[in-house]
Amino acid sequence: MKVAMFLAAALLSMSALADDMPTYKLELKDGVLKPARLQVPVNTKFRLEVSNTGKTPAEFESTQLRKEKVLAPGGTSSVVILPLAAGEYKFFDDFHMATAQGVIVAK
Amino acid sequence: MGQVLFIVWRESVEALLVVGILNAWMNQNPQGKAGKPYLWGGVALGIALAILLAVALFSASTLMAGSQDVFQTVMEFMASGLIVQMVLWMREHGRTLKKELESGLADNASSANWWGVTTLVAIAVAREGSETVVFLYGMLGSADGQTLLNMSGAALLGLGLAFLTFYVLQLGGKVLSWRLFFRLTEIMLLLLGASLFLAAVEKLISMEILPALIDPLWDSSALLDDMTPAGGVVASLTGYRAHPALMSLLAYLSFWAGVFGLFFWRKRRQAA
Repeated sequence: MKVAMFLAAALLSMSALADDMPTYKLELKDGVLKPARLQVPVNTKFRLEVSNTGKTPAEFESTQLRKEKVLAPGGTSSVVILPLAAGEYKFFDDFHMATAQGVIVAK
Repeated sequence: MGQVLFIVWRESVEALLVVGILNAWMNQNPQGKAGKPYLWGGVALGIALAILLAVALFSASTLMAGSQDVFQTVMEFMASGLIVQMVLWMREHGRTLKKELESGLADNASSANWWGVTTLVAIAVAREGSETVVFLYGMLGSADGQTLLNMSGAALLGLGLAFLTFYVLQLGGKVLSWRLFFRLTEIMLLLLGASLFLAAVEKLISMEILPALIDPLWDSSALLDDMTPAGGVVASLTGYRAHPALMSLLAYLSFWAGVFGLFFWRKRRQAA
């Protein structure tokens, strides 16, 4: 447990956020993504503000972008995405897999 | 979902193994009958302890709401370590478990002191139960009450499957032996441990604590895309990545190197 505490404290002190990056909004609503296709600049760090405007829990997930965020109905959270090489990066709402498939395009 | 099912199933079988051995022994021994209430009391106590731990975990995570990523990363590392520790323990004690339990029981029966049984069972059940809680927590992360409810269906199914498995194993069938059961689930557990370890390392990359090095190293999404439902299951059970960063690959390899290193070291120590 002591190790865990120490690790947590070390991580906390290191995860300071820089605040001068572009921000993009993404809305998850009961299986509908707005937008489902998001264009971002290439090789630029950016912030993605994900909000759940639906009535059911949602989870923004992308194995490729190494992100996972669970959101309660009405919840909002932001994730910082590290600079991306040109290409398409898939993401989805893990709790509404059937319909909520999106893509982030770095150009 | 698949992970929840698997973990609950395997952990329940382990707890049932202890309870089942004791129960069978009590059924066969005339003085054993008296110990039954103590046995089931131990089961109840163990479950209560595990629930207590779950509550403690969730309150800890609410307290740390602002730093959920950090909390989850720590939990994932812990869960991964727990899996390895558990597999090692079963490897070393699995074969002699029955003998140890029964000789302990015989001592208890002759002195009519059953509290030892209660303690033993409570510890066994609480251990498996709390392991289940920690694993599930590491996997479900910040899921809220609603999601957890959905997951509990999978957990109940896992428990049902465990009873069925235990029953089949008790028959001492040729189809499924204890040996084979532990061998197979051991491999699956270690893969799951690797996957949790990798997930934790990737969170560190995400938080810019570790460099990604080369990202991505390759693209195998044409073979198996980790963003499809089937690929996602493989990814979460084994740690497969369609676009891994070099750091992820190094982390994955070092996990396995560590596991094999531990196995050989323990084996040598046991043989010595």
